[in-house]
Amino acid sequence: MVEKIEIAPTTRHEGHAKLILEVDREGIVSKAYYINTTPIRGFETMVAGRPAEFAPVAVMRICGICQTTHGIASCNAIEDAIGCEIPEDGRLLRELIGLGNRMHSHPLHHLLTLEDFVKPGEEDLKVDTIKLIQRMRKVGQLIVDTVGGEGIHPPNIVIGGMRTNISERARAKLYYGLRQFEKDAQRMEELYLELIERYLEEVGIPDLGSHDYPYIASHTTYGNKEAINWDSVVEIPPQRYYGDIKIGESTSVMIPLYEGVPAEGGPRARLVKFGNFRSGGSAMDINIARARENLGAGYRAMEILDELDINGETKVTPEYREGSGIGVHEAPRAMNTHFAQVRKDGRIKSYRIIAASNWNFPVVEKAIEGYPYQYAEVIVRAYDM
Amino acid sequence: MEDKKITVAHVQLSSCCGCLISLADTYEKFPDILSSIDLVYCQTLMDAREIPEADVILVEGSVCLEDHHALEVAREVREKGKTVVALGACAALGCVTRFSKGGQMPKPVHGSFSSLTEIIRCDLAIPGCPPSPELIVEVITAIIRGDKEYLKPFIRYGECKHESCGCDLIVNVINKSLCMGCGICSASCPTRAIEMIDGRPLISPHLCVKCGVCSFQCPRIEI
Amino acid sequence: MDPLGNYKSIISARATDKRILKRAQDGGIVSAVFIYGLENNLLDGAVVASKEKNFKPVPKVATTPEEVLEAAGTKYTVSPNLSVLKSAIREYSCEKIGVVGTPCQIISTRKALKYPLGFRHLVDKIALLVGIFCMENFPYMGMKIIVEELCGVRLEDVVKMDIGKGKFWVYTKWGEVKSVKLKMTHPYEQSSCHVCTDYTAELADISTGSVGSPDGWSTVIIRNHRGEEIINNMIEEGYLETRPIDEGKFGLGILKKLALTKKEKNMKEIEHRKKLGLPVPPDVCGLLQ
Ligand SMILES: Cc1cc2nc3c(=O)[nH]c(=O)nc-3n(C[C@H](O)[C@H](O)[C@H](O)COP(=O)(O)OP(=O)(O)OC[C@H]3O[C@@H](n4cnc5c(N)ncnc54)[C@H](O)[C@@H]3O)c2cc1C
Ligand code: SF4
Ligand code: SF4
Ligand code: SF4
Ligand code: SF4
Repeated sequence: MVEKIEIAPTTRHEGHAKLILEVDREGIVSKAYYINTTPIRGFETMVAGRPAEFAPVAVMRICGICQTTHGIASCNAIEDAIGCEIPEDGRLLRELIGLGNRMHSHPLHHLLTLEDFVKPGEEDLKVDTIKLIQRMRKVGQLIVDTVGGEGIHPPNIVIGGMRTNISERARAKLYYGLRQFEKDAQRMEELYLELIERYLEEVGIPDLGSHDYPYIASHTTYGNKEAINWDSVVEIPPQRYYGDIKIGESTSVMIPLYEGVPAEGGPRARLVKFGNFRSGGSAMDINIARARENLGAGYRAMEILDELDINGETKVTPEYREGSGIGVHEAPRAMNTHFAQVRKDGRIKSYRIIAASNWNFPVVEKAIEGYPYQYAEVIVRAYDM
Repeated sequence: MEDKKITVAHVQLSSCCGCLISLADTYEKFPDILSSIDLVYCQTLMDAREIPEADVILVEGSVCLEDHHALEVAREVREKGKTVVALGACAALGCVTRFSKGGQMPKPVHGSFSSLTEIIRCDLAIPGCPPSPELIVEVITAIIRGDKEYLKPFIRYGECKHESCGCDLIVNVINKSLCMGCGICSASCPTRAIEMIDGRPLISPHLCVKCGVCSFQCPRIEI
Repeated sequence: MDPLGNYKSIISARATDKRILKRAQDGGIVSAVFIYGLENNLLDGAVVASKEKNFKPVPKVATTPEEVLEAAGTKYTVSPNLSVLKSAIREYSCEKIGVVGTPCQIISTRKALKYPLGFRHLVDKIALLVGIFCMENFPYMGMKIIVEELCGVRLEDVVKMDIGKGKFWVYTKWGEVKSVKLKMTHPYEQSSCHVCTDYTAELADISTGSVGSPDGWSTVIIRNHRGEEIINNMIEEGYLETRPIDEGKFGLGILKKLALTKKEKNMKEIEHRKKLGLPVPPDVCGLLQ
């Protein structure tokens, strides 16, 4: 007997989604559908025909948590399309602001998963951790505010580079913030290691949420178009991917595939591809990888502050011409890709986005399958979508 | 009675969640803010799955008319919320979703987005993309205190059901001989769409997301 | 009608630092306050009106005494100082900002502080509002006509402009002084000034202007505790020297008279515009106090 269980809406993540689970007699999920029911605001068609400058401003508003990564990917794509080289200091600031975004988004995600791992009676731990998270987020957002002009939807990310450089004073302030962040990120990593170990022990399923799909990642701290074979990246409509037309119709997510199969993106994928993080383990490993990435982000950010010439040029005036380009940025959740075709007059001819979390939709479904249905939401949340 | 906290729900429609993040950007004060109210529903932060009745429902995002569920939710918040607050420009004025027109995979029919203020009666509406953390806190505090005087502009924004844009400054301020060139509109714009040229705001229409901030911030027009 | 708004005290004062006096418009109060603030860690930035060639105003975030000095002196034209307010807290990372502005700009700032809708993380970073008296302002080209056509001086030669004793004065780098009666300059005023009823920046912490004090001295209206503290300390530490304000006709008398004249004249204009069905500015002064 197969039972159908629906969890709707799923909670503690951004957007609207639900889980449809087919569960066997033992309570094990045999088939999982993770359906995103958020209406499509249509940023791809929204920017078509409009001046290219509108694109980064608009697409940032896809997501208020990782706006920065959309702004970066958008500008990268358009610059790639028109053959625009941005100055080195502009590039450094762009990487820095992306890291600032990660340093707020990752801790925010810890906030959303925390409830899964603390137990009743551990109120103090919870309160302290929330304080820790907010302290970390404050530094991340300080970077985005300072470098980007606004902590949410930073307007300084513009085609051609970054609108302005930062002052000596600002650089010093960011540096001291990062020193604090370093300590807090260490604490966070220790804490998550402990919490996850304890959790998996109690659950008694060490590989909870494992799957055998490959990983996809282009870079550790920024984004690298060259690292991906773009001919192998396709996006197919859910109607086709799911076979089941009813399921296919209900979701708002296009399904990206790499070399014909889904691939996991995000913290674990990056640390496996470019480091020696364990692959193929429990989905809970992603929570740990995320905590570790905080540290890496902090160190790289400090390095950038050293490299940055605060009197250097950060922007060139873009000269528009016809072309198409790809912009890649490693968002907190996965690789974020924008494809832009630009017309001679500097307007967008066509635009396509493979948003970071789309990669993980089919992966999450696979990760849920084979495990008791009670853990489905915990597995989903490990992915930050 | 005097100790009873007001119940607050946060509901997300077609939005980017940035308005809620803005509130979270009160950093160390965030837990205190949450404990000054009784948060009964917030899908992003907690596990409640059904919108309960509440003194205040903060609604973020515009309404997709092709999405049956969204219209249901809009109706539901009006029924269940004593005070419905359109939080942020998407809910208050439409904001960037004014540019939506559909045609995108895999839901090409999703193409009509209206501000919440156009769909249901909103007691308060807060423009801004997103409104600053400090402003959201001021408004919540004013609601708790019952400070109608402070809330006046937001009551008015709740009533006005028309779109907003940087060009409003042209029509309502510059054209009416009211602009004296202070420059605050320019600083307030979240997309930097406004440059001051010859002492007057110059709006780049292709950078404007219709968030309504510049008009709200201009001291020369009634808000 | 209260002509000057709320205040604690009014004095005449001027900076003691000769470098400031040399470049300042009147008693150098604005520049002295900002320099004192920067040197004593009360401020870490100031939003001012600097200038380019030909007296083109350029709003600027000054973070050093030198930059404050560079921006000293009145530009008789619109300088949208507040347009850089956000840069001050973002790429400049200032946390204690001083703002100088005309009364209307002080109103805008107060409104932003009360309703910081588009000003994330601004409110606690505004440390001091310094208002300058203002009867009217001119569009840039209006100022150019006054200087070049009415006074016959090339803008590039001008080192200072001033309004006083019923005249608009122009000083050139060649040491010449030209003037024209204010009656002649009225046609070049920006019309939005004619619905403005605030002469003395009633919402500032400190307001200052030349009217009411002898040449080279400034009238300083101390409006609240914040303003009082800084002015008192500056006096104590020798940054400012003071003299009692002349209570008579040429002191407070004329100040009140001018403030009242502006209110009455522009209230009439407001009523007139209302009659024509035109919009008028909301009464923000009342709202914000
Ligand atoms: C348009 C205008 C009209 C004025 N009308 C009168 C008047 O009727 N009666 C009167 O007593 N005083 C008037 N003043 C003020 C007066 O001219 C002096 O600015 C004031 O006394 C300060 O002098 P100070 O020596 O203390 O300042 P300073 O040390 O010289 O510093 C002046 C400060 O004002 C800033 N500033 C200069 N021009 C502008 C501008 N256009 N907008 C904003 N900020 C500016 C500068 O950046 C500088 O920081 C007016 C000023 C302006 C700008
Ligand atoms: S108003 Fe802006 S920040 Fe708020 S939901 Fe809309 S796009 Fe996001
Ligand atoms: S000009 Fe800027 S502030 Fe005004 S509505 Fe447009 S985006 Fe908002
Ligand atoms: S805020 Fe209003 S008065 Fe000030 S410059 Fe802008 S439009 Fe003009
Ligand atoms: S007269 Fe009023 S509106 Fe005009 S510049 Fe002076 S303070 Fe501003």
